[in-house]
Parts: sequence; C-alpha cells; structure tokens
Amino acid sequence: MREAEKTFISGLREKLVEDKIIDESQLDPDFAKEIVKYGGKDVMTCLQCGNCTGVCPISLKIDYKTRSIIKFCQFGLKKFTLETRWVCATCYRCYEHCPADINPAEVMIALRHIAIREGVIPPFIKMAATNLVKYGQSVKPDPEIERVRKELELGDVPSRDQEYAKVVREINLLVRSTGYDRLIGIESEVKS
Amino acid sequence: MTQYAYFFGCIIPNRYPGIEYAVRWVCGSEGFDLDVADIKEFSCCPVPGIFYSSDKNTWLLLAARNLTLAQNERREILTVCNGCLTSLLKATEYLTDPKSLGKVNRVLSQIGRKYTGIPRKTEGRRRIMEPVKVRHFVDVMINDVGLESIAERTKKPLKNIRAAVHYGCHYLRPTENQTIDDPNDPVNIDKIIETCGATSVEYEDKLDCCGAGGGVRSHVVELANSLTEDKCRNIAEVGADCIVTGCPFCLLQFDNAQKSFTKEGIPAMHVSQFQALAMGIDPISLGFDTHHVSAHSFLRKLRGT
Amino acid sequence: MNSSELLGGNEVKRTPTEANGNSSGPRIGVFICHCGSNIAGTVDTSKVREAAEKLPGVVAAKENKYTCSDLGQDEIIAAIKENKVERVVVAACSPRMHEPTFRSCIQEAGLNPYLLQMVNLREQCSWVHSREKDKATEKAIDLVRMGVAKAAKLVPLEAREVPVEQSSLVIGGGVAGIQAALDLAQMGFKVYLVESEPSIGGRMAQLDKTFPTGDCAICILAPKMVELARHPNITLLSYSEVEEVTGFIGSYEVKVRRKARYVVEKKCVGCGVCADSCPVKVDNEFDMGFGKRKAIYVPFPQAVPLKYTIDKDNCIHFKTGKCKACVKACANEAIDHEMEDEIVELKVGTIICATGFDTYVPMKRGVYKYWEYQNVITGLELERLLNASGPTGGHLIRPSDEKTPKRVAFIQCVGSRNKKIGVNYCSRVCCMYSMKNAQIIKEHEPDTEIAVYYNDIRAFGKGFEELYHRVREEYGIEFIRGRPAKLSEDPETNSITIRAEETLLNKITERQFDLIVLATGLQPSEGGKRIGKILSLSLSPDGFFMEAHPKLRPVDTAIDGIYLAGCAQGPKDIPDSVAQAKAAAASAASIMAGKNVKIEPLTALIDESLCVGCGLCEEMCPYGAPEVFESDKGTKAKIVEALCHGCGTCAAACPQKAITANQFTDEQIASEIVSALGGIGVTAEKAKKAAKKAEEA
Repeated sequence: MREAEKTFISGLREKLVEDKIIDESQLDPDFAKEIVKYGGKDVMTCLQCGNCTGVCPISLKIDYKTRSIIKFCQFGLKKFTLETRWVCATCYRCYEHCPADINPAEVMIALRHIAIREGVIPPFIKMAATNLVKYGQSVKPDPEIERVRKELELGDVPSRDQEYAKVVREINLLVRSTGYDRLIGIESEVKS
Repeated sequence: MTQYAYFFGCIIPNRYPGIEYAVRWVCGSEGFDLDVADIKEFSCCPVPGIFYSSDKNTWLLLAARNLTLAQNERREILTVCNGCLTSLLKATEYLTDPKSLGKVNRVLSQIGRKYTGIPRKTEGRRRIMEPVKVRHFVDVMINDVGLESIAERTKKPLKNIRAAVHYGCHYLRPTENQTIDDPNDPVNIDKIIETCGATSVEYEDKLDCCGAGGGVRSHVVELANSLTEDKCRNIAEVGADCIVTGCPFCLLQFDNAQKSFTKEGIPAMHVSQFQALAMGIDPISLGFDTHHVSAHSFLRKLRGT
Repeated sequence: MNSSELLGGNEVKRTPTEANGNSSGPRIGVFICHCGSNIAGTVDTSKVREAAEKLPGVVAAKENKYTCSDLGQDEIIAAIKENKVERVVVAACSPRMHEPTFRSCIQEAGLNPYLLQMVNLREQCSWVHSREKDKATEKAIDLVRMGVAKAAKLVPLEAREVPVEQSSLVIGGGVAGIQAALDLAQMGFKVYLVESEPSIGGRMAQLDKTFPTGDCAICILAPKMVELARHPNITLLSYSEVEEVTGFIGSYEVKVRRKARYVVEKKCVGCGVCADSCPVKVDNEFDMGFGKRKAIYVPFPQAVPLKYTIDKDNCIHFKTGKCKACVKACANEAIDHEMEDEIVELKVGTIICATGFDTYVPMKRGVYKYWEYQNVITGLELERLLNASGPTGGHLIRPSDEKTPKRVAFIQCVGSRNKKIGVNYCSRVCCMYSMKNAQIIKEHEPDTEIAVYYNDIRAFGKGFEELYHRVREEYGIEFIRGRPAKLSEDPETNSITIRAEETLLNKITERQFDLIVLATGLQPSEGGKRIGKILSLSLSPDGFFMEAHPKLRPVDTAIDGIYLAGCAQGPKDIPDSVAQAKAAAASAASIMAGKNVKIEPLTALIDESLCVGCGLCEEMCPYGAPEVFESDKGTKAKIVEALCHGCGTCAAACPQKAITANQFTDEQIASEIVSALGGIGVTAEKAKKAAKKAEEA
C-alpha cells in the first residue's frame, strides 16, 4: 500500500491511500460460479433489498451484513468475504424471508467450502474431525460423565464399546475415500 | 405399530446422559412403550456445523451410512436433537437425486452397504422405495403418541412451573424440509408443556436463535454467548422457572453461556426430561448434576417446598 | 415411392372435396422472386427456374425482381391467363409477409385464392445460407420441387362469412368497462354492461385522489358513470353475474343472472329513508371494513344506479321473518322481500372482459403482522381513510386509538416481486400511489413524519418523475432503501418499531411509527377467475388473462371476438386502463362494423364416419373449437369452424385419423415429404441405402 502525501494551500495534509478505489485487478470474475458449484444458489439474482441482514441474529451483533457478503460474491470481491465466513449460525432465517429465493446461509456454506480448499481451516473443524475418526463421534468421551452413566445404568458410550471399532474403521474408510482427511489435514489420525 | 430406532447423537451420551435416560424411560415400558430399538452402529449424524460446512460429499456419505443402518432394520429414526434431525433429513433429500445416490452407493459398497430407501408395497406388483423417515422426538410425541395419551400418563402435573420454550432454529427451518410446525407460530412443544400441567410462558423474541449453531460457538464463543444473553434476559423478564428445548446443543449453549453474564442462571432441560418429570420419574435419574446451571431451585419448586 | 407408400398403402385418405382434375394433374405456374438481391444475391434463380420448368405439371416458370410489386403481380396475372394456370407456386419471402398479397392477386386472375402455395426462399434459404451459394441454390431447387408437389394436391376452399350481432357485452363496471361501453355506445352499437356489485365504479370509486395530478377519483369518474346509465345504447345490468357463454364470434349467447336486490329498481328513488330505519349495522365492504352500513344500503353516495340493495345474509327479515322497518319507511313501496333472481338471455357479437383486480391480502403471522397489529393497514384501506366520503370523513386516524398519527411509514413491494409467495411480477402502481398518499397526508397534517421503505422506485409514466421529485423536495418525505425485516408493537402505545437494514446507510436501524401502510400489490380478481373459466380464457404465468401477442395484440385474446381491458390483463394505472378500454372498444367495433366476419377456411374437418367420439380433440384444442355431441350414429365430434384457428393439433392427435386440416391434409404433406426425398423414381429401399451411405461417409 503506497502512501503519498500532498500538501494543500492552507497547509492541510491528505494521505492518498492506494486501496480506496477498487479496480478490476482485485476482482475474481468466476467467484459467483464457484459458489454455485458448492451449492449456493445463483447469487446474481439478489436485489440487495437487505431483508436478510434485518432478520440475521449475527448481523445485529457484529460488523457483518449478510447482504454485503452476497454483494461481494456478486461483484467478485473474494478477499472481502474471507474474514467472516465462520460466523453464520445457519439459522436459515435469511432463506425464509428472501423475496428472490436465494439461500444466503447456503452461500456461507459454499464460502466455507472454498476457504477450506484454500487452506483456511479453523482449529475446531480439525478437532471435531479428529474425534470422529478416532471415536466415531464428534465429541470426546468425558470420564466424569461416564461415571454418571454408570450410576444411571445406561451402559458405556458407544466409543468404549469393543464392537464399535468396526464402526470407526468404516468411518475411516469413508473419510479416506472422499479425501477429507487430506483436505482437513488429519491423515495421521486416520487408520487404514 | 411404527418401529423406531434411537438416535442419540454425540452430545447426549457424552455430556447429558440424563436426557438419554429420560428418553428411554418415556419411550420404554414405563412410558409409552413404543417399539424402539437400539442400533449400536450409529455414528455421529454428522454434525452439520462441522461437516456440512466443510465438505458436503463427506457429510452425505456419513449421513447415508447412518440411514442405511435404519433402512436395513426397516425402522424410522427417532432423533432427539434438532441438529441430527436437520442433518439426516437433508441427507434423505439429497439422496433422492439419482446422481448423488449413485455416487454415494459406489463408496458405500466398499463397506458393504447400499442406500435404497425402504420399500413400500402398493396394489399390484409395483414397489415404491420411500426415503428413510427421520422423526424428531416432539413430532413423535404429538403425532404418533398423541396429547391425549400424554395427558393420561401425566401422574404429577407440574402445576406451579412456568416454562420458557426454546424451539431452536433447525426445528423450525428451512420449511421446505421441516414441516412439523409453523415457523412463525410453532405450538408443539408448548402443547406438551401445557399437557404436563405447567404454563408455557410467552417471552419476547421467542423464536430467536440461541447462537450456538453453525460453528459459531466453536469459532467465536463470545458472539454465541451474546445472543444467548439476549434470550436469557427476555426469559428472565417474564419470570420463567426453566428453559425447555428440543435440542441438546441449544441446551448446552444455555447451560454453559449463562455463567459469563449472570450469577443466577435459569436451568435448561430437554423436553423429554420435562415430560418424564410430569410422568412421575424420580428426578435423580435425570442427571441434573451434569448440568452446569443448577436445577436446585427448580426442583425445590417442583416439590412444593 | 409415392405418397400412398409413405402413408402406408390402404390408409390413403381423400378429403371429400378433393377434385381429381385431369389425369396428368393440374397445370402449375411457378414464379420465382429475386427480392432485389435478398434472394438473387445468394441463390442462382435462373438455375432454379430451369429446374422448375422440368418438374411434372409445370406449364410456366418465371422470374421476377420484386414479385410483390404491382408490376410483378401483373406479370403473374398475365402468365396465369396466358398459360391457363390452375395452381400457383410463388417462391419468394415468408408467407407471413405476402401470402395475403398473392392470394388476392391470383383471385384477381380468376383463381380460387387458396390454390396458392408459397415457398420460402428468403428467410429459410438465402438469408441463412448466405455464405454457401451453391448449396443454397440446391436447397432452393429442392424447396421449389416440394412446393410444386404440394401445389398439385391443393383444392379450392371457400371462406365463409358469418353475421355479427351489432351488440357487445362488457363484463365489469370499473373505469375500463365503463370507458369501453361508452365508446362502443357512442359508435352506435348496443352495449350490455354486467357488473356484479350493486353499483358500477369498481376500484377507482374507492380511491381518494389519483396520481400524479391529484385529481379526485370519484369526481372524474362519476360523470362517466352517470353518462353510462343515461346512454340510450347501454343497458346496465348491475348486481348481476354472467353465468354462461356459448357460441362464437358474431353470435355469442350469454346467460346473465340478475341477483335479487329485494328492491324494485323502477320504484326506488334512492332517498335512503329505508337505510335510516334499518336496525342492522354491518361492516362496510366498500370502506374495507372500516365503516358501517345497514343491511339495506347503497355502497357509496355516488353509486350508479342509485338503488338500494338488501344484503340477504344480514337482513333480519330473512332470518326470522320479522322486521319490516324498511318496508314501512318506503314511500314508494319499492321493497319486495319475495323477489327472486332473474335469468336474462342475451345475444351479442363481441365480448370485452374488464373484470379488474383484487389487492393482495398479507398472510397471517407474517412479517408485517397485518392481522396481529391494529395499526398496520393496506394501501386501499388508507385510501378509504383519506377519502372525504369515507368512514372518517377524510381524517387520517390510527385504528387503535383513533388519534392522528404523527409518524407514518409506507412499506413497498408487499405481495409483489416475491418469489417466496409465488408473485414474481411488479404491481406497477404501488410506488406511485404511496407517494401520492404520502403527499395527501402531509397536506392535511404538515407535521407528520413520513418514511417510505422501498426496494426500487418505479416512476416511469408521464408526470411520475415530477411527483417523485416533489414529494422529496417540497414535502420532505424520506425514502429508505431497505426491506423491513421485523415489526414489533409497543403494547402500551400501539406504536410500531420497524427494524430494517438501510442498505444505503449500510446500517441496521430501528425506527418507530404510529401507523404503517403496506403498499399491497394487485392480483387477478376472484370474480374474474370465474369469468375466465366461463369464457375459456388462457392465463399468463402471473395469473392475469393472457393477451394474444404481448407486443402487437395487447387487447385481443386467443379467442376471436373476446377482448381484454384494464387490470384484468395485468396491473396498470388509470390512464393505461382507459387507453386499453378504448383499444378494446375499437377492436370490437372493427369486427361489428363490417356486419359480417370472414372465417378463414384453413380449419379442421371431422369425418364423422371415422370418428368414435373419444373427445381427445376437445381436450387438445387450445381454442375450444371441437365439440363432442350425441348423434343418432353415436357419440361424435364436430369442429365449430368459427373458433378453429387451423393449428392442426386435433388432426395430429386423432387416433382414428378422422380429422383433416384443410390445406394441410395428410396427402398434401406426404407429397412434400416424398418430393423432398428426391421425388419420383426413388423407392423406399433406395432412400434407405442412400441414407446409410451418407452415414458411413
């Protein structure tokens, strides 16, 4: 980012910052198509009415607007969407209220797919995936809870069951066959 | 009689076993005596916030695997969690597309499985393959068991209890998949509460999201807690004794978030636990000790002391 | 191969009127047009002429630079006379351009106009193959050969003329129906106007002022209504419904049910004493439920006809037999509780359908909380509140506490442009009527704060942009771009908070208002839907009636003799409705002025000896032309020629091959196909071998 200083007659200084105007070099022309590929319905039909932002619980709390994200997708401003892909709660209120029948929640999901394929993988995804391939469930067993289970005579959690090893093997196989382990970076955890 | 298969998911067995006990009790011989079996090979549904968000192909495969287990037993899946409901139900929708079905079955064949749906005989020699049915606990209670039966079995009506119902987002939406209740005016859980003898209180923004879903709790927990704080404020304003929900993840959120903004939390519980109490279960079996927000005041009110 | 082989041997059909002519077939003349350089620039027309001369039956083959010109036509006439030509082939442009021209031309030469076969060497040959001149010429030769083969099979056809009744039925008494009726009556035709409400005036009578000029709606409409009622050529059948329509253009037979008013129209003078004495008060539908009316009522003071009507469902006399308050009060003994519905039968030449619109009713428990919050009203309800003869005498009040609202919000695009509820179109008038109403509110109460929540502003018509400018500059009305996401009510004050993302501010805002007006969109009227079924009118995808051609025939329907006017055809404002009504009247008049209408003979014909009455043709026909009926030979079908458009669908569908499409008979088409494949000398096997060779090559 270049900065240039310019002095005006009355002595004011104004910094000229390069990024104030967005030009074509910052746009990704096929972004909208990429999103359709991952399941987001055609974002080009969005009228930018702002209804999605109005009903979104996340938009109320942080500097994030559902409508803006869709606009960036339409326009091809990929980098503007990078920061906020993981804050959508997928409550689907936007889809229920959209007059153009777009599903912004699915667009967020598509954005997440794109982010992961570019190597941006939040740690909680890795953790849950690791749990899945280790225990067959996304949540690790907790010894305290297991004690309570015993008291209630509920039996062991599935992952402690000897028979369950077969399930874990099946899951590992499935995860490997789609390449998910490579995608998320958990190859070491996946047993063959 | 419809045949079901329990699908407890991940959170209930590993974090809130009291719910598992309650569900088994309500559906079992001491409750409505439904024909429900345990399928031990069920895995994580898989969690929509993680797997549907990261790779749809993997998600569909894992979900299809679970569906085949129920399919082979010819049973309907009885879920107790909004997340499992949405994950499995969406999978049945995706699998109606022959292309996706073909792709999925090709991989499933490697583990000796195939998703076909459940055959239903019709007149003549035609057989229709129906997708595996995925039912929510509340749906089964309202439509299969019926409010009348619930009323009959309400041995200890929870007369002085004011319950705030939290439906949760994935119970209500998206309406093209979920049609159990009207997304703008749902009534099912309220009806169950009322049949159990308690009062279901109306509070502002009742249908708002708890904040946990979609990975928000895992990614930005302060954001999730902020949404929960708004809900709890509205619930506290109307003086509710407890929060009743149909989703263990919402429950987990209510249970864990409150300590970050209040000293006196409102206890949260699952519909099955609430129902079981009305049906006369001993509260000790509901595992309220595993809940982070203490249920002592609620239980005291229940006992009338 | 000949056409018999193609058609399968014994199944060659001959139409009853097909003349066999002499054994060598009729004498054919071929006229090839250069069309300047349009055809001649690509196709070598002299080669085509040489090839045409050698075709069987051709006695004359000529070329011409511009065959459609007077010179060209004179040449055709001369050639016909000289060579005693019996069938004419004109190889030129598309028949849609000059088929009528050449038909009249050969008629002048003494031939039946339907003995013409056009071959398209321009749109379907020279223009699309302009880079491959040799191949284009080959194709032109093939096309001419096919045309000649068909021409040999053409038979003379006679156009029929049916008389046209000099009267018209106008369904719907809104501004469009009124205008159409007046225009037709002015031209000297008899008009029957049927309106289902007790008074004419329609939606326009409900409006307060009209945009963009602010004219009072009823003030400009009432003179027309009175003129209509007094016009000697117009019979006004108010409080009546069209029950049945049969027949075809020129002679429609209509059954109209005149609903019982229980008030004798001839005796009622409209004094209103009966209403004063009536004890029953019910919600007034004309005031959108805001005001009250009695069980005996006129819908509004300027009603035409000014005759009272008894609402049977709410009148005590009909429930209990007691109460004769109105009977006692009426000085003219005009009330008759024993009155019955009357059926009137009419015969008319044309019909104009002007059934208008209903407004969108917001859904229950929807975002806008129309049913839940009192202070949320629709655009039409606002019109009644602002109207000086409305329930509040023109004072705008909030329904909850009847106080004057200080802050008003308009929400646009309610029930329009929304895929979720299946209404994909824009209702065209809502942006303007909201602006107009906002201006009226400001004029009454200058301190009111008004905001308009919009998605796009459509101010497209004459004077519209000026109004848009005025309401912002002079009246200070704020336009907020954003679709309201949530409405919540303060239980004490009943004021409503709108939460919306203001997209131009890039912020989510919450603003409070005393009154919310939903600018609801236009929908096809319920009564109109019923009429549409009776008339068999097609619907456009948006649910309004479909015009014959979206660009060039906006008032015609697919059925000749039935026209559309006003919002029945699609949402529009008053000037457009009036213009369309005038257009419909002119179209109807053009048919009736000729006193007869020509029915083109290119229709379908059913051979009753082959027909088994299966009814498939009736199902398939988009124009309602086939009719299944019982004859003494069993169930049969016949084609009502006047309704038939000659599309050929029934002929193709008939499983018994009992239907012929004139000028497109099986044999005529077969002859074209055979000649396309190389004509005489090519057997079926030879053709198959040739095709196989071409594939392997």
